[in-house]
Amino acid sequence: MPSYKLNVNNTEYTVEAEADMPILWVLRDLLNLTGTKYGCGVASCGACTIMIDGNAAFGCQRPVASCVNKKIITVEGLSADGSHAVQKGWQKAAVPQCGYCQPGQMMAAAALLEKDKNPSDDAIAAAMSGNLCRCGTYHRIKEAIHYAIEELKH
Amino acid sequence: MPTASINRRQFIKLSSFASSGLAIGFMIPGLPALALSPTDCEFFQPSAYLKIDKKGKVTVYVAKQESGQGVDTALPMIIAEELDVDFKDVKSEVAPYGTLKEGEHDTGGSQSVMTMYDTLRKAGAVAKAMLITAAANVWKVKDSVCAADRGEVVNTANNKRIAYGELVCKAALLPVPKEVTLKSPKDFKLIGKAEKRTGLTDILTGKTKYGIDIKVDGMLYAVAERCPVLGGSLVSFDDSAAKRIPGVVKVVSYKGTGVPMHVHDGVAVIATNTWAAIKARKLLNITWSEGNRNTDSTDELFKTFAQKAKEKPAIEVFKKGDTRITNSKQTFTSEYAEPFLAHGTIEPMNCVASVTGENLEIWGGLQLPDWTVNTIAKDCGFKKEKIKVNLANMGGAFGRRLHFDFAIEAVKIAQQIDKPVKLLWERTDDIKFQPYRPANYHMLKADTDGKTITSWYHHVLGTPVSYMTEGMDSKHPEEMDGADKGFCYAVPNVYTGYTPVDININRGWLRSVDICVNTFPVESFIDEIAVQLKQDPVTFRLSILEGQPDFKTGDDPGAMTQSPARVAGVLKMVAEKIGWTAPRKPNHYIGIATHSFIFAKSYAAHAIEIEMLASKKFRIVRVVAAIDCGLVINPDGLMNQMQGGLAFGLQQTLKGEITVSNSRVAEDSFYSYELLTFAEMPPVEIYVIDSKEEPGGVGEVGLPTVAPALCNALAAAGYRPRTLPIRKEGFSWV
Repeated sequence: MPSYKLNVNNTEYTVEAEADMPILWVLRDLLNLTGTKYGCGVASCGACTIMIDGNAAFGCQRPVASCVNKKIITVEGLSADGSHAVQKGWQKAAVPQCGYCQPGQMMAAAALLEKDKNPSDDAIAAAMSGNLCRCGTYHRIKEAIHYAIEELKH
Repeated sequence: MPTASINRRQFIKLSSFASSGLAIGFMIPGLPALALSPTDCEFFQPSAYLKIDKKGKVTVYVAKQESGQGVDTALPMIIAEELDVDFKDVKSEVAPYGTLKEGEHDTGGSQSVMTMYDTLRKAGAVAKAMLITAAANVWKVKDSVCAADRGEVVNTANNKRIAYGELVCKAALLPVPKEVTLKSPKDFKLIGKAEKRTGLTDILTGKTKYGIDIKVDGMLYAVAERCPVLGGSLVSFDDSAAKRIPGVVKVVSYKGTGVPMHVHDGVAVIATNTWAAIKARKLLNITWSEGNRNTDSTDELFKTFAQKAKEKPAIEVFKKGDTRITNSKQTFTSEYAEPFLAHGTIEPMNCVASVTGENLEIWGGLQLPDWTVNTIAKDCGFKKEKIKVNLANMGGAFGRRLHFDFAIEAVKIAQQIDKPVKLLWERTDDIKFQPYRPANYHMLKADTDGKTITSWYHHVLGTPVSYMTEGMDSKHPEEMDGADKGFCYAVPNVYTGYTPVDININRGWLRSVDICVNTFPVESFIDEIAVQLKQDPVTFRLSILEGQPDFKTGDDPGAMTQSPARVAGVLKMVAEKIGWTAPRKPNHYIGIATHSFIFAKSYAAHAIEIEMLASKKFRIVRVVAAIDCGLVINPDGLMNQMQGGLAFGLQQTLKGEITVSNSRVAEDSFYSYELLTFAEMPPVEIYVIDSKEEPGGVGEVGLPTVAPALCNALAAAGYRPRTLPIRKEGFSWV
């Protein structure tokens, strides 16, 4: 089985996996980083959203072989104590109901704010359009992103 | 202080507690925290619901399963209120399975707060009373001289204080009081104040473990291919290609099950990781025998509905007066249709199972763990007492995890391998094989005297859940009651009947099951009648609600109370807040609907304003919701549930639909079974009726009036939708 060196949350890992194994399953099954969630496997829900080199990406669509020499950030890598601006925004807005989709939602928001510290509501809607929440927390997600934008100004 | 005696005393205390008539639940030996036998008394645990440690930190063991509805916060708040502790000193944990009496873990029907409220108040009050006695003994004063205040006992004579944490060892040795005094609700400090969810930081840092995240030593991963038709069977399979995928350990087959929990025959790939199992599954070469019920379709089903709707209902559900004899000036008839729906939890079904000899251990999110255990014991051949259950957080439930088909499958797979196995349902399995909210159809007829309704006829046609859970001879199609004993509108003559129609697709309960199914036709039809009678839809509803006294739905102990006044109350609230009587902007229309969520003792209404952009094309300008759920425990949780109800209800109104052909579900992902998106969530204002009534449930109450309110707005614009989702009738929205 091929071996891959990965940089996840600023830590170097070596994993043995088939080249086509999506990074989602590498994170969850091999590295035990279960904060990144499986929702559909076909890029239709966004639960597995992570950041690859600062861009939001669906973990279910990225084979491990394509992730070498890239910086991967998962929800665990935003911060372990909830101190990242996006996590603080989510905390302040008390977003989660079941919470299952929220790691993916936060990663999509974090990737947006990496590029644009003060996005318009249209840009927010566009960035969040690939992330589904069955509990219906969308208003609080939007509120949380605005809190995160404020947080980043300080 | 010898530990053993503390533990034994605690157990004796707990069992005597159970028989003391306080109805506070009981604990059986085996609660892990107690079994650890600490070297000193580390905590005080007066009941199965809470413990307090020496630092004064409180752990509340929540009986109900968390799936996003906020029971991990609302239920601890009830205890914390009576216990008089700061809520930041309270943490929430799932009550371990087996520590509560049978049925107490059951989570569904918006019942958690309603059913636990009294019990948890008593649990908090008992603990507080014992801590007060412990402090009084220290000071050698009477209990009545002492009071509790934010985690401390106060000697009111001299204002001396002792923290709860310092009293735990002393309180643990005291007898449990036979009677306790509960606070007067007017003295509540915590209940009614918005609290953020306990465990919020864990969710936001990815630490929260849902069922799908559970990993136990040596665990393998499985996915399964299922017979495409319910009731079909496996003939043979060739796994030679599948087994060549690196990581595949074993391929096993299992037989399906029937009543009460339908499982298709299946073939499962077990591998060292999920991806290997998913890849190998695609390479299985399986021959199924589909059986003779493999031609059913929703097209045929709805044709049958429409045809039978004109006949007499097969089962009479409710009758009042005589609907045949009226001197009707105008008679109105309408028919409405609602499709099958899938739950679409973002965490798909999963379960870890481990079989060692005659012992079974399972891990997963289960809304009805007792029924799960009892059924697995019977279907899979285990003694009930040899089954250990570990309950997990659920990434959404909405009724899906009342069903445990996935747990049965996991056990059947685990029985064929000597390691623990986690079975994962891929999304396609979730959309294609779940217990669907039944499709249904309604024929409504009303006679009027030109001013009001004189008789109401409601023929409900549906595909009963009970046929799946109880069998084809089931006489209780309860999810389709239509206008029954609880019908809140004052109509002198009512006849409601039901006709079951079967289809070879699994069915189950989904958030707001029966009430949602009936509120769409009832609140649409009332609106149609009002318009036909040239009356204002709000005024017309109020004319047949207001002035009616509360009434019981029967004489039996399970009879519920209906309050037309409260149905009217939420209606008036949304009408006022949306500006029902104010002039409307050009092309703006408002629809309104109200209802009683009778079995959760709550009432809600919606008013929805739309703007028509073109023929059948609209945007939702804003939504106003009102709820009367009696005493509110956590307003923050209530807001979440009302927003969630709107999102869930809109999905059903706009685009949610499961279709069937050749006894197979056509949809297979969120591309074909679409959920509501971020951009589609309209602005919403939520108003709560100030009420002193006992607390009602809120998890499902914000859903049923969404569809009729939106459809009534579209009707006001000239397009009356009678079929859900409205996309089928050519509507589009931005």
